[in-house]
Amino acid sequence: MATFIKLAWRNLWRNKRRTIITITAIMFAVLAAVFMQSINRGSYEVMIDRMVSFNTGYIQVQDYRFDDESSLDNSFYYDEELRDKILNADWRIDKIVPRIETFMLAANDVSTRGAVVLGIDPDKEHEFNEIRNILSDGRFFEAGEQSVVLGQGMANRLQLSVGDTLALMGQGRFGMSASGLFEITGIVDHPIRDFNNQVVYLPLDTAQELLSAYDHVTSVLITLQNERHTNPVAASLKSALDGGELVVYTWPELMPEILELMEMDLAVPRLLTVVLYIVIGFGFFGTVLTMTMERLKEFGVLLSIGLKRLGLASVLFLETLLFSLMGVLFGLGFAWSILKLIDPINLSGEAAQAVIDLGFDPVIPMSFAPDQFYTQGFYVFIIAMIVFLFPLIKISRLNILEAARS
Amino acid sequence: MSIIKTENLSKVYNPDTVPVHALNNVNISFEEGEFTAVRGPSGSGKTTLLNMIGGLDKPTEGSVTIDGVDISKLKDSKRIDFRLHNIGFVFQHYNLIPVFTARENVSFIMLLQKRGKKEIRERADALLDKVGLSKKKDSRPVQMSGGEQQRVAVARALASEPKFILADEPTANLDTESAMNLLDIMNRMNKEQNVTFIFSTHDQRVIDRARRVITMVDGAIHKDEEQHVAEQA
Repeated sequence: MATFIKLAWRNLWRNKRRTIITITAIMFAVLAAVFMQSINRGSYEVMIDRMVSFNTGYIQVQDYRFDDESSLDNSFYYDEELRDKILNADWRIDKIVPRIETFMLAANDVSTRGAVVLGIDPDKEHEFNEIRNILSDGRFFEAGEQSVVLGQGMANRLQLSVGDTLALMGQGRFGMSASGLFEITGIVDHPIRDFNNQVVYLPLDTAQELLSAYDHVTSVLITLQNERHTNPVAASLKSALDGGELVVYTWPELMPEILELMEMDLAVPRLLTVVLYIVIGFGFFGTVLTMTMERLKEFGVLLSIGLKRLGLASVLFLETLLFSLMGVLFGLGFAWSILKLIDPINLSGEAAQAVIDLGFDPVIPMSFAPDQFYTQGFYVFIIAMIVFLFPLIKISRLNILEAARS
Repeated sequence: MSIIKTENLSKVYNPDTVPVHALNNVNISFEEGEFTAVRGPSGSGKTTLLNMIGGLDKPTEGSVTIDGVDISKLKDSKRIDFRLHNIGFVFQHYNLIPVFTARENVSFIMLLQKRGKKEIRERADALLDKVGLSKKKDSRPVQMSGGEQQRVAVARALASEPKFILADEPTANLDTESAMNLLDIMNRMNKEQNVTFIFSTHDQRVIDRARRVITMVDGAIHKDEEQHVAEQA
């Protein structure tokens, strides 16, 4: 095999200019494909990461009715036994974060706003998403306090600040009236715009008391040692909780709209990538076709002296593979370097303002997701295999004498 | 004892359109250690005969038996394998692998035979020494003259330790000095190591050195004669 590799490698460089042009073409195709995908995916990855960190978690346990009707009536009893059952379902579970969530009216002395009320355990929540780090003013409450932390947008709308009092009004579990006054201990600059404008955080036990949902939660968020374990851990949890009223959702199941939006947005660069690869594929085919046709006599001689057709096909396969491998590696190397160099692109002026108005940061982050790198390698490999069909068919049908005479 | 035997060997090209009878009922045998020239005018069938003997082409009728094996009945891959272990080829246009050095060209055929690395290297060096190319072992074909390339081709043909070597017009592209040099080498190999050589040739220099001369006309053996060759200095 070493001799075949040596032969293939040296054959590549028999026509240096042609080889360099072909490798460069593949390289630019890979570079362009990765670049297009990285820019498009980067923004979505940030959005998904924030949603997972501050909203859904990688996996969530809920009452089976809660997804259809997000009411406190569909909350569930959460005690140490359930906590241990979840924790012991799979060794890859890192932490679990209980929450109670409902919709209430938040008011100052003159105006009222709709609010997403989240009862949280501040310590567990901080371990999960470092929520204390987004505090822009004041401090985070401790368990049991009769206090709230507001999103910056909500605080602005109600013209409230740290030390002021917020009134919450709404409905508790099974239609119980729920209202109370709470001291604002902190303001958070929440990275999710909708949350920033609507969220009111309460200590979990305080919220449960307010909502007459003692020892009840609406969801348990689960964090993992590694995101890649989402599906197997979800499967373990489903098995552990089988037969009860609790269901398990993974983060893609919890925010399908964002994923669909991302897929739609990625359709255009994907289509461009396909067109790019078709063009490059024909160029690559042209090179392999020329390399094959101009060496038919040599192939005839090699078969004459005892190289089997399979061996000859192996040499040509290696040549095709080396071509594509070099193009892919250079392309990925350049793409990665350029992405590192420009990441993130900071917008300024009107463009920045337009993005801010849409609720996003005025930056375009690059995605470094490994799959967008190795899938390009895979696509080029597929192209190489298709291109290789020509020399393969040619060799299998090669008449030694006609080839040696050519 | 004959190592090659053809029986009623015939080859017709384009049998369905304009049939060309390249070989007509050829019956001939070759003994081990022969130094034989096959001559004849263009189109007489000498190259076709060598192609049949070398297993590069299949006969329309008849058979080619080498060491008891009817190679005309072997399947493609078996025939390639048979050639690798039993037949050496020297071509008119040398046909070395252009990206390999002289040593690599000679070694390649032994690598295909799956011999050990040490043996391959030692044997390749020894063969290149024998053909007088000890200083050109690391040269590529493009860095060698035609005569040198043809000597590498002879070394390559010998490398697999074949039962015989078929040389198709081996001196056609060489100047007199290179041709005589090459013939000396092949003659020496024939005498010292009993290597069987069969040439197809127009070249009188080759014919003069052959101990057996077969003349072909119109795809048939016209003459088959032994000749005395004076010892070369």
